[in-house]
Amino acid sequence: MSAISGRAPELVSKRHRRFAGPWTYLFLLPAVALFVVFIAYPIVWVLGESFFSLDRGGANNFVGLDTYLSVLADPVFWVVVRNMFVWGLITIPVQMIIGGTIAYFIERHTDAWRGFFRTMFFLPVVTSVSVISLVWVQIYAPYYGIAQEYLKLFGIEMASSPIGDPSTAIYALIVVNIWQWTGFSMLMYVAGIANLPTEVLDAARVDGARGLRLAWSVIIPMLSPVTKSLLLLGIIGTLQTFPVVQLMTGGGPNHASEVFGTYVFRTSFVLGDTGRGATISVIVLLLALILSIIQIVYLGANLSPSGRREERA
Amino acid sequence: MRRHHPAVNRVVIHVVLLLVLVLWMIPEVYTLSIGLRTPSQAFDATLFAWPLTFDNFITVIRDNPLITFFLNSLIITLSTVALVVAFSSLFAFACAVLNLSGSLTLYATLLTTLMVPMASLVLPLAILLKTFGWVNTYAGLIFPYAALGVPFAVVVLKAFMEDSPKELFEAARVDGCNAWQTYWHVALPLVRPALVFVGIWQFITTWNEFFLALIILTRDEVKTLTIVPMQYSGLYMANPGALFAILTLIALPLILLYVVVQRAFVRGLLAGAVKG
Repeated sequence: MSAISGRAPELVSKRHRRFAGPWTYLFLLPAVALFVVFIAYPIVWVLGESFFSLDRGGANNFVGLDTYLSVLADPVFWVVVRNMFVWGLITIPVQMIIGGTIAYFIERHTDAWRGFFRTMFFLPVVTSVSVISLVWVQIYAPYYGIAQEYLKLFGIEMASSPIGDPSTAIYALIVVNIWQWTGFSMLMYVAGIANLPTEVLDAARVDGARGLRLAWSVIIPMLSPVTKSLLLLGIIGTLQTFPVVQLMTGGGPNHASEVFGTYVFRTSFVLGDTGRGATISVIVLLLALILSIIQIVYLGANLSPSGRREERA
Repeated sequence: MRRHHPAVNRVVIHVVLLLVLVLWMIPEVYTLSIGLRTPSQAFDATLFAWPLTFDNFITVIRDNPLITFFLNSLIITLSTVALVVAFSSLFAFACAVLNLSGSLTLYATLLTTLMVPMASLVLPLAILLKTFGWVNTYAGLIFPYAALGVPFAVVVLKAFMEDSPKELFEAARVDGCNAWQTYWHVALPLVRPALVFVGIWQFITTWNEFFLALIILTRDEVKTLTIVPMQYSGLYMANPGALFAILTLIALPLILLYVVVQRAFVRGLLAGAVKG
């Protein structure tokens, strides 16, 4: 240490000569180039396109906010908003609670089996989502699916497939999503719990906090950075929802399970209405930005995997 | 008596965790189970059906170019992982170690990507890739995936580099290393657990990406494993045994890979939190 600090003045001058030459900006270049071409430019394009509309003659006319108004007047749009709201409101807390509980018991009460449990509960996350979707279609199927067969044992009768009924479709899809992503919440909490400072836990134990009391009044508050990251990731994840819905219901029946992903897909690629597709894309983007900013301002939430704080940034 | 409680508790907790796990694994087990059935049992509404047969697996492997889809997935995923690890570590190094002026503004700009849902990008990306002539090419997925993956990797790597002992970078400078040599010989080895973590996570997300792949890949020769199940669900509608044998084979590579690398993955995750 002393040797290094003894040379400090000399270092400062060397630093400017060797490390901060203009060529070091090349370190930033590849990432920035990717960002400009594949993220920033598409966003600018979609923003521009949302103000235009193709008329019957094929000419691209400036229509201002007309497309926005027509999207907002579309009842399907509001079904999508409601579905996304319900989706986030259910999946995020349920995944946190189940994932957090499993993580707590794995980390605090197992040793030899710890790695096994951590790995197994995470498997749905790494199972191809298209495989998962088709399996759950089969599970939910009337007559030959196992859901109706085994739920009968608990006195629950399912007359038809829950994904075929407009009133239950979205909830049936939410179940699939929770099943797939709880392992992710579990692993994030595992990292959080494994890294709790032992001194604090020991001090709490000396003060008589044990078991559930310890969990409730010490561990849960100390895990709040993880919870905040999961909330932020959960909201972005909700807006990302697409494959499960596309593959299991296609947004149906009669738009009952429509989400932003399927809405954009149908409008842009099935109906081929680029102007309208662009407008919906912009609305989704604005929504994501607004929700993220609200959280970052109010919760100081961060986006890193293990709940670490970005204090230096 | 009191002294025995912890041991009893441990057993009870293990049993309960195992029961929850068994329930949780039903969809995975069910996939395999249907794949192992004879046509006459394929529609039985039970989790297991006996006897087991491997005929479905033999048939679907013989009749389908699964290896092509697998190689497509592998090429796209490995290329993306390589780009993300390289570009994000360079960027993180410039921010955390070189402290280039303006780099923090660029960092904040890059981070906004994390809030951009795929749903709002697919349409403009599809049109952009069409102008590039990149529809039905590997590059058409690799570059957008890398662009979407870099910001998260930068967050992780930048934090790791900031937490590394500064003396090491200074010592390298004193020894006459230039920026590139410091990056290559000091920074990269220092953050290796984070590079592994970022690489594995990028592998998982790229391998399973569905939305953009569905739109960009329309020709069979370039399709990835993740988007082929749909076409098989039509093809094998009347033969669930064959369909689920294929689904098992499609899901298997990533599951096996994760089981192999999970230790390194969790280690990276834990290390990230320790230094927070």
